[in-house]
Amino acid sequence: MMADIVSVERAEAPWWSSAGTIPGLPPIMACIGLLALWEVVARWYGLNGLPPASAALPQIPEILTDKESLIDIADSLRRMVTGFALALIFAVPAGLAMGRSKHVAAFFNPLLMVIYPVPKAALMPIIMLWLGVGDASKTLVIFLGVTLPLIYHSYQGSRAVEEKLLWSAAAMGLSAPARLIRIVLPAALPEILVGCRTGLVLALITMVTSEMIARQTGIGNIIFVSLDLGVYDRVYAMIVIIGALGFILDVIFESMRGRLVAWAEPSQAIVVGTT
Amino acid sequence: MISIDRVSKQFETSRARRHLALSDISLSVARGEFVSILGPSGCGKSTLLYIVGGFVEQSSGAVIVDDNPVTGPGPDRGPVFQEFALFPWKTVLGNVMYGLDQRGMPKDEALARSRELLTMVKLSGYENFYPKELSGGMKQRVAIARTLAYRPNILLMDEPFGALDAHTRTKLQNDLLGIWEKDRKTVLFVTHSVEEAVFLSDRVVMMTSSPGRIKDIIKINLPRPRERAALLLNRRYQDYVVEIEKMMDEQPETRVS
Ligand SMILES: Nc1ncnc2c1ncn2[C@@H]1O[C@H](COP(=O)(O)OP(=O)(O)OP(=O)(O)O)[C@@H](O)[C@H]1O
Ligand SMILES: [Mg+2]
Repeated sequence: MMADIVSVERAEAPWWSSAGTIPGLPPIMACIGLLALWEVVARWYGLNGLPPASAALPQIPEILTDKESLIDIADSLRRMVTGFALALIFAVPAGLAMGRSKHVAAFFNPLLMVIYPVPKAALMPIIMLWLGVGDASKTLVIFLGVTLPLIYHSYQGSRAVEEKLLWSAAAMGLSAPARLIRIVLPAALPEILVGCRTGLVLALITMVTSEMIARQTGIGNIIFVSLDLGVYDRVYAMIVIIGALGFILDVIFESMRGRLVAWAEPSQAIVVGTT
Repeated sequence: MISIDRVSKQFETSRARRHLALSDISLSVARGEFVSILGPSGCGKSTLLYIVGGFVEQSSGAVIVDDNPVTGPGPDRGPVFQEFALFPWKTVLGNVMYGLDQRGMPKDEALARSRELLTMVKLSGYENFYPKELSGGMKQRVAIARTLAYRPNILLMDEPFGALDAHTRTKLQNDLLGIWEKDRKTVLFVTHSVEEAVFLSDRVVMMTSSPGRIKDIIKINLPRPRERAALLLNRRYQDYVVEIEKMMDEQPETRVS
């Protein structure tokens, strides 16, 4: 059952990050192609509410120099980072413990099964009743969105740790808790980082959707206020900014991941690359 | 001193099926004795070593090491696993130093000892390589150095020279014998090679499979220190090898019970 979960989440990972492409050129070509298509479709069909790229893109520098919207974007990012960090603190230890103890796994597994199919953003109205429309509920939703892939991958990574590594460490005198931190954690790190990458994308998605429902500040707020006002140029400019944000975060994360687990066997690296 | 007393091990392979891997094994290994275990694949050699190491629990019987029953792993018994089990996130040097750091040895002392061991296993120059960058034989040599580093009283070696070429193998056999003759560790040594067993051991334990039992124990009365080149011409050495090889051939093929 859990295996299905991961395949769904892996499918959601961004297509542009697949390994093996020449860095730089193909993504740029793809972007140009997409922009051209957008321009052509918008001009030929003249859909109501779809401005051509040439009208939307000039809005981007305007948004990025406007103090109000910068504050909104910073608010969003702050919630995203907080939610992600909290998920990291909770999910990694929980997942590692699940992988090493049948009892812990038996406790968490049913819980995860129940939470998994629930769209996290759909919980937003309920959570707002408890925590209000402010930061707390949005951060909680991001936390929930990131926790699942992270806990799952930590669990898998921890379960796959070779028994003899733990035995070797035990013979050197490492206690069980020390083995969890000094053997299981590093051995599972490649897999944990796969979870982090999926989690990063999900954090971005839940961040925007949470702001869609509880409008107040943030990137989602800019989009939907502009939509209400009929300023479609701005809506599309904002969508492009979100896409670019996701891309930049992924590139930064991947270069960091590459350095952290350079020691890993190539087989593990391929699993990561072929999301 | 290791005393294995009527140890049996039964694995629960699936819901209803059980597999008797070891049946009623009794063996005493004196302090400083070098004992090899020979037997067909799957006869339970590794399992026996794991039980002595405290990694796997026996189904019945007891293992006593220096008057204490074995209840878990400890730094007095150093394993070298068939699968190397190097820490992949540590460099060669980091792997060898791991046990020394754990014991609280000062850094420079640990570094000196680790380098010395790496020279012995012919891996100086590879200090900063990661395990994934090494060949099978090199990994095995790192694993041996890593265990020797923290100076366990008892070495539990599971086919430690299995992945090596003939030349390195001979070289390391000589080195191991050299180390052993110096500080007389107790060694329990699993191997597939009859020559290796006879060359190294005080006694050779022969096992049969399904279930794993001790078939025979042969005392090797050859003078020490042993010299490989001289031994190869030694009539008694040749007789031991031939005799043990004959006995191995008498063994029935491994069957699944
Ligand atoms: N964890 C396990 N669960 C079930 N059966 C096991 C387990 N470990 C070992 N066995 C069984 O116990 C028997 C002995 O295995 P063991 O690994 O000790 O053999 P071995 O003599 O070391 O073989 P080899 O020379 O090939 O390494 C085998 O039949 C194996 O199938
Ligand atoms: Mg074995």
